[in-house]
Amino acid sequence: MAASRTLAAFVVGTILAAPSAKATTPPPRPGPLAEPQSSNQPGFPAQLAQWLLPQDQPESPTMVALGKALFFDPRLSVDDTVACASCHDPEKGFTDQLPTSMGVHASFGKRNAPTVLNAMFNIAQFWDGRRPTLEDQARDPILNPIEMGMPDEPAVVRKLSAIPEYAAGFRDVFGKPPNYDDLVRAIAAYERTQSAFDAPFDRFMAGDDAALTPQQKAGWALFNGKGRCMSCHGWNPTRPLFTDDRFHNIGVSAHKSDFVPLARQALDVLAQGGSPRQIDQLAIQTDLSELGRFLVTKQPHDIGAFRTMGLRNLFVTQPYFHDGSQATIWDTLDHYNKGGVLNPFLDGGIVPLGLSEQEEDDLAAFLLALTSQRYLSRAEEEYARQFKISRTTRPQRDVEAAAGLRGRNGPGFAGPFGDIGPSMNEMAQNPALLGGRAFSGGQ
Amino acid sequence: MGPGRTWTAGVLGGVLAAALIGSAPRLPRAGADALPAHPAPPAQDGLVVQLCDGATSVTVPGVQAGRPMPPDQAVAVTRELMARWQRAHPGQRWETAEAAAPAATAAPGQRGASQQGDTYASFTERDRRIWQAETDAFVAEGNRIFHSAELLGGTIGVSCDMCHPNAANTHPETYPKYQVQLHRVALLRDMINWCIENPVKGRTLSSDDPKLRALEAYILAQRRGVPLAYGKH
Amino acid sequence: MAARHKSVETKYMEARDTVLRALRHCDRRTFLKLSTATMGAVLAKGLVPPHSFQLVEVAHAGENAQTGTALAAGEIGHRPFTFAYISDAHLYERTLNQRFVRAIVKAVDDVNALDPQPDFVLFGGDLAQLGRPGELELGRQILSGLKAPVKMMVGEHDWYLDLGAKWQELFGPPTYSFDWKGCHVVVLQSVYEKDFWTERKLTPEQRMLTVAGLDNGVQSRFEVGEEQREWLKRDLAHVPATTPILVFSHSPLYKYYRPWNFWTEDADEVQAILRPYRKVTVIHGHTHQMLFNQIGNISFYGMLSTAWPWPYAPQGLPKLTVQMNRADPFDQFDGCGDGRMTVRADGLVDTIYSLWDRNPVTIRADYLVSHGKVDRPPAPQFASY
Repeated sequence: MAASRTLAAFVVGTILAAPSAKATTPPPRPGPLAEPQSSNQPGFPAQLAQWLLPQDQPESPTMVALGKALFFDPRLSVDDTVACASCHDPEKGFTDQLPTSMGVHASFGKRNAPTVLNAMFNIAQFWDGRRPTLEDQARDPILNPIEMGMPDEPAVVRKLSAIPEYAAGFRDVFGKPPNYDDLVRAIAAYERTQSAFDAPFDRFMAGDDAALTPQQKAGWALFNGKGRCMSCHGWNPTRPLFTDDRFHNIGVSAHKSDFVPLARQALDVLAQGGSPRQIDQLAIQTDLSELGRFLVTKQPHDIGAFRTMGLRNLFVTQPYFHDGSQATIWDTLDHYNKGGVLNPFLDGGIVPLGLSEQEEDDLAAFLLALTSQRYLSRAEEEYARQFKISRTTRPQRDVEAAAGLRGRNGPGFAGPFGDIGPSMNEMAQNPALLGGRAFSGGQ
Repeated sequence: MGPGRTWTAGVLGGVLAAALIGSAPRLPRAGADALPAHPAPPAQDGLVVQLCDGATSVTVPGVQAGRPMPPDQAVAVTRELMARWQRAHPGQRWETAEAAAPAATAAPGQRGASQQGDTYASFTERDRRIWQAETDAFVAEGNRIFHSAELLGGTIGVSCDMCHPNAANTHPETYPKYQVQLHRVALLRDMINWCIENPVKGRTLSSDDPKLRALEAYILAQRRGVPLAYGKH
Repeated sequence: MAARHKSVETKYMEARDTVLRALRHCDRRTFLKLSTATMGAVLAKGLVPPHSFQLVEVAHAGENAQTGTALAAGEIGHRPFTFAYISDAHLYERTLNQRFVRAIVKAVDDVNALDPQPDFVLFGGDLAQLGRPGELELGRQILSGLKAPVKMMVGEHDWYLDLGAKWQELFGPPTYSFDWKGCHVVVLQSVYEKDFWTERKLTPEQRMLTVAGLDNGVQSRFEVGEEQREWLKRDLAHVPATTPILVFSHSPLYKYYRPWNFWTEDADEVQAILRPYRKVTVIHGHTHQMLFNQIGNISFYGMLSTAWPWPYAPQGLPKLTVQMNRADPFDQFDGCGDGRMTVRADGLVDTIYSLWDRNPVTIRADYLVSHGKVDRPPAPQFASY
């Protein structure tokens, strides 16, 4: 009795003494939001999906089920604590809603976890596009020392082979014993079922004029006009993903580090041709992470450039940007409104926008309309929470810079707008308000 | 080297052509019009020089086909041709009469007859001149707006011709096409408006705004003769 | 004395050196793992990483002055050097337009970030857009932030409001020459025009606006002019034929497209004056695009603009020019940039077109001199038409 109490005390003490609660928090269990989604959603890009499906090895329901099991299995990590789902939790929009993700041994990386929702449509995976496909992406976190921490691929395979369900499962699905290639193929097959359309916006585009509120429609007009959002976060019926599949430096890195000397360091490293794994480690573990796409292409204009992310389900995938540095959507809007943060590699398309407070609210309301039906109630709660914060706390807000009043290139000047045009939302007929007819020629 | 060699009145043709070419530099038209051919009456001796109306001709004695005439003689021949034409068409002017006549490639026997009426089928040279003047004025207005940041409503002193001199690189013949900046299929006027809003920093124009229509007209006019190629990027 | 202009970008660059020494951002274990491996590699390849992140292959230009590609037997090469350029800023006054100010400041910061610094910076003309004193003053103020010495060259937008009065007050005579490390450098005013304004009774502002419009066809064609050609002959009289000549000129000094004044009316005469010299490179502005040509003994490089790109002309494009990709108007920097010229030991010139928001493009003299047979630059994905 005394011994068991001592043991209990020891266990409790261990738990309390653990460096972080997360390390002992079990990974999420698959719930209804983890289920494969049908492609029969309004707004689903059937043609694009057709092009992107792998030609070899069709994906059967059993492959998807195997992939799902692996996705939620913490045994893929070195200490059995971290699964894919730990950072990509279906309940949290397939993210972890943390600024940057935590892996084994309570170690934090440098990058915010991107969502798996619609990831199959990404031009490349990761914030810097260093892996082209879902399969290739899945290879890296398992082996990254501060994510899932497995030492090498054979170690992963040995561990899986020792688990009878997996030994049998791989044989059923692939006809072979467990191996790393099939592992990532199964995981990718599951991830490909996580499409997320069916948002109020999709129904508006399909012809339901009442699906957006007037405020959301105003936001949509701004999205196409003064906000200049559309040119990078592009939407059309064929590619309804709100991304241009490109990489831009919008000045987020410049918030903190002196990443110009970092680029110089990176050049030294990469002059000898960094291996993909070396780049992966640099991206997640070191401050060179701020260099973004540059680590992959080594081109000067890619310094600090990151992939344009889609805008669906933003209110369940907070916080925002590659480093999770912005807690609310209003912070991201303020960032764009003031023209990003100046740095020598800032994309020329990032300019002060001169949006008013009302216009930012309209845009935020519009972004809520991009939430898939199954996440809508969670998103509305988060929207309300962020809205409340945004009334009092706006760390990125810089009204003078947004209006071009304070000279971004030295002392200020006494001009009305400088490089910002007049408010221009009084168009006689804004195509953004016509719904899908303006985009698909009147279907 | 036969006696029936046909000449065309090159001097007159050149004058007429020069009168029709506008002042703005244009791309050479694809498939330039070939000069019409007319069968000439046979000559007894010397050379038959025929006006391009296919009817008036002058026989120049003592000149062989293939041998050039001295300039004075050539000028005298062309003057004589015009005088003969004028005598045959009293009170008319060459430019208007020829332009109103049916196509010169019609067989000689059919010349002179054309479908006319006094109501709807009646088009004269006067009408054509009105249409041309009106079109040119519309395009000229577009030209003015295209070159003026103020008329565009721009606020930063940037006008279209700064990136598109003579409307270069606008390729209006490729619309409708997927316009990358809008991420959707656009018409020329959509892109004009986008450019007004973004590089020019002006207020966008509604689709029935005369300025937008004039700009479209000017841009299209600069690409006369270029084949349509919708969707080309 | 106007205060030295310092932008946010300049301040970033100034802070970098102290941080680099501290290396506080790179975790020690990672740094040690990475740095030892790379040091050797970097040294072995002879690569010198400048802060502009463009590896300058110093070995190519400098290792043996006597074995440069275009040196004749027994000919002694000269000291190679680099210079940078910023061109065609087209500044409006600040109250009207910040966009072009942002662009020229970016160019100044690019050049200040180069390590090693170039020998000098050429300003390629069209500092102002409408020739106004305020615009020229603003440009002077911004260019005074350059660390390297600046050689100014005049463009038509600087000249035709007051026929060069303010320009000369600020920057001195528009035509001059100097020697640099064994090369002879000539700077011309190649945008003289025959008087078209007096008979039309144009005011100075109207004259300037006419010249500012590329396509109105009213202004005269650019020329160097007889007086300046005579000056050039006298200036070159004592320069040996083996000396490399650099000619800085705003108009191209050849005939590309007359309606847009991508043209010098007396180009043939000027080229004739330069013909006796074995190695002549003309570096010109005005065309706002990637442009290069070879005519006889003369290589021609057009400079990029910081303000906006011109499309390629409908005809007359030199065969050797490989077009730059069509510019995207969403990004004010696309199709714009600055650049560097490397004058090699053999007296020929290579250039890097530092296109902003795009991969830089290197054009080597070998490509031009071989008439396109070697070192062909990369092709564009979408040409302008």
